[in-house]
Amino acid sequence: MKVLLVDDSGTMRTIQKRCLNKLGIMDVVEAEDGCQALEHFEKQEFNVVLSDWNMPNMDGLTLLREIRARNKQIPVIMITTEAERTRVVTAIQSGVSDYLVKPFTPEGLREKLEKWVAVTT
Amino acid sequence: MSTSVTPAMTVDYVNPVISSTRNVFEMMLGCTPRRTGLMLKGENAPKHELSAVIGITGKAAGTIIVSFSKEVAIEVLQRMVGTDAQEINSDVCDAVGELTNMIAGGAKAQLAHLELSISIPNIVSGPDHKVHYQSEIKPICILFESEIGPFMIEVGFTSLQK
Repeated sequence: MKVLLVDDSGTMRTIQKRCLNKLGIMDVVEAEDGCQALEHFEKQEFNVVLSDWNMPNMDGLTLLREIRARNKQIPVIMITTEAERTRVVTAIQSGVSDYLVKPFTPEGLREKLEKWVAVTT
Repeated sequence: MSTSVTPAMTVDYVNPVISSTRNVFEMMLGCTPRRTGLMLKGENAPKHELSAVIGITGKAAGTIIVSFSKEVAIEVLQRMVGTDAQEINSDVCDAVGELTNMIAGGAKAQLAHLELSISIPNIVSGPDHKVHYQSEIKPICILFESEIGPFMIEVGFTSLQK
């Protein structure tokens, strides 16, 4: 299981990585923005992408569209404060697999992941 | 486009900010903050060492500022990721910025009819720093007490009407 974790906040990456590690997911590649994430995505194989929305350089929505232009199947879960209906609809129309609103609990992240990938612990 | 402002406009945004702050503190810091005061911003507002500033645009425009003492900001980092710090550093700023981002995002979701967008947080620090608003905005200071110490949120808004 390999996860691409995209968030401009080191704090949020640490929190999410810790949650993933507790679920037995140790192979986590971190990116600070969409540009970095896309570089990783083009060079490596991932099972799931977790991405913030508001980021400098390339935001999560643009990243989502870039990923969908390359890969229609990979689960992409947006983890963001952007909770309004219009934003969620835009993300769905752009091909997001699921949506988790910050702040979230570790259980909330686990539930979302279990819908899309096999979590072993 | 003309800009019209009344203090009531800013008040409209206070309750969503308070409820969002409570929710974010409970989930991310494990404590429930209690509002202890509400005042128009003036010279008597408490001074803090670190402020996270988020700009808001849409059918209303304004700023949300979350301010902490050094000690409280360091405790925010400790509670969010378990990292100790002695001084305000990049990790402390990042944690406070993300906490503020979540507070603003939660408030924004309660004000969906205004179609707001929020900026990435900027951090201002220093023992006597000031953040200035457009002259027509009368910001409101919301004072909180919490298990990790006191803190303050400033909310300043103007409605934009065609």
